[in-house]
Amino acid sequence: MQGFLVGGLYALVALGFVLIFKSSRVLNLAYGEMIAILSYFLIFLLDSLEFPLGLAIFLMFVAGAGLGFLVERSFIRPLVGQPFLALLMMTLMLMFLFQGIIALWKGGASYAYPFAPRGMIEFWGVSVLPGALWAFVAAIVIFLLLAFVFRYTKIGLAMRVVAADHAVSQSLGIKVKRIFSLSWVISGVFAAICGILAGLVWMVTRDMGLIGMGKGLVVVLLGGMNSIPGALVGGLILGLTESLGGYYRPELREIIPWLLMLLILIIRPWGMFGERRIERI
Amino acid sequence: MLPCGTFNTRPEEDMAIVRTKTQWLLIAVGLVFFVSLGLFSPEDWVVWLILLGIYAIAVLGLHILTGLCGQFSMGQAAFMAVGAYTTAIFESRYGLSPWATLPLAGIFAGLVGLLFGTPALRIKGFYLVMSTIAAQFIVIWILREWETVTGGAFGIDVPAIKIGGEKLSDVQFWWLTLGLLVVMLILAKNIQRTATGRRFVAVRDNDLAAEVMGVNLLRTKLVAFFIGCFYAGIAGWLWAHFYPHISPEQFTFKDSLWFLGMIIVGGMGSTTGAIFGATMLRIVDKTTTDYLAPVLKEAFPGLAVQIADALSLIVFALVVIFFILVEPRGLYHRFQRLRLYYQLHPFAY
Repeated sequence: MQGFLVGGLYALVALGFVLIFKSSRVLNLAYGEMIAILSYFLIFLLDSLEFPLGLAIFLMFVAGAGLGFLVERSFIRPLVGQPFLALLMMTLMLMFLFQGIIALWKGGASYAYPFAPRGMIEFWGVSVLPGALWAFVAAIVIFLLLAFVFRYTKIGLAMRVVAADHAVSQSLGIKVKRIFSLSWVISGVFAAICGILAGLVWMVTRDMGLIGMGKGLVVVLLGGMNSIPGALVGGLILGLTESLGGYYRPELREIIPWLLMLLILIIRPWGMFGERRIERI
Repeated sequence: MLPCGTFNTRPEEDMAIVRTKTQWLLIAVGLVFFVSLGLFSPEDWVVWLILLGIYAIAVLGLHILTGLCGQFSMGQAAFMAVGAYTTAIFESRYGLSPWATLPLAGIFAGLVGLLFGTPALRIKGFYLVMSTIAAQFIVIWILREWETVTGGAFGIDVPAIKIGGEKLSDVQFWWLTLGLLVVMLILAKNIQRTATGRRFVAVRDNDLAAEVMGVNLLRTKLVAFFIGCFYAGIAGWLWAHFYPHISPEQFTFKDSLWFLGMIIVGGMGSTTGAIFGATMLRIVDKTTTDYLAPVLKEAFPGLAVQIADALSLIVFALVVIFFILVEPRGLYHRFQRLRLYYQLHPFAY
């Protein structure tokens, strides 16, 4: 049960990947580190500057949006049209950059959020971490919100068109660059949300960024690179398999995502719900 | 480009890697220089040189796999770990001599590489990258958890190489590394010029066209994986003997990305570029950790503990980002432009 709920968090992480990939075909491997850096920012606001909780979280969201915007503008946009792997390498280097900044700023220290609720709560007869429950609820809410935005609003429509074809949407008068920016900004806000929730479930540590590579990426591949429902289902599956495997042999816990990833790559590289776009050889 | 007045009139001349007398002279002078470098440089720079040699060999492997065949691998450090562990296990448990484990390290690393290269049959580009990342984590996990063989997280000791009953000193180890590097360099250079090398390039440039022309894609890719990982295994052999104790933490995902960064900085698709990249990034790393970090430590005592570690990450990321943005073809391209400019000097072309 716990695993299932944590799966909600994984799904949320994966949504941040999918959103960017869908619009701009960039896989943002630095996403995990963005989550980590934003969590540290929140800790900084709460502990050092002693802001009230609401304001701090609001500022964190703003910072997330700003971070997404800045990264897109300064590092990703100059590379538009370059081979996919140049972009991949760029996001990997950004990952290092953020890791370095975190290390420089906070060292190896780990923190728990002061507002994190203690203990376990009863839910449907099982005791779970409150953070995990929150994560699950947030994932569902955000998923519904995204589905709504994509289906019924003009911006959502524009994003879907951009996802389908860049050149066509440009000629239809959609500002493709602005859509890229927008999706990075939204994904930055998601990173902030993930940061809060991941900090509730575990702690804010230096290795927190690994959630992006180790979990989010697997979920994305599992569900399909450009599918939002895929991210949700994939996240739940990963959470479940991980906790079941961990129940069987604790040391398996770490390796399960990678094995799952290798398996899905061999069997069905485009994922469960993904578009079958990759060229087969 | 050939110097003025030199023409290829016989097939052998056309095939030669080293074409003119000046080049032979430069190579001889360079070799003497590098050999004597070990004698005259301070202790910590000898260690740096050895590490550079080890990294350069691993990067050469990655150059063949990525630069020539276009198959990105982010698991080079894990394959190096396989080589290092093969060495350690065969030497400490079965008492093989170091010279016998040298090919074994390469072959075992190559075989593991083949295992993770097989998905290349169905997937390419980014999906293959993902599978090599998975390889990195799975290999390291196995090395850590399979305690009866690998010694678990604690690691395993490697007996030192002995010649005539004496352990190698650092300087001698540098000569060994240099010798191995030169051999591997010549090998890489020649692989590039064989039919296999040309097949690699064909697969990189356009795999569909290559297949239509009769190149067996699966076999070519697997051969590339095997050779690339073979190099990593050789580098692992050197690593295992240089650090008499190896453990899984020495071969992280970060190191794999360092290798990839090195070929990007150096310029993809040329052996010289691979060496350039390795040297450049190692120099940058050395200067930041040894010269820049202490200065900053003085300036910001509050950050003293983490500064060296963090700085090397940040500087590495910035250097590679700079190269991706400004000079995607790498240092080698810049070097060639410069050489051409000097060859033609008073004229523009």
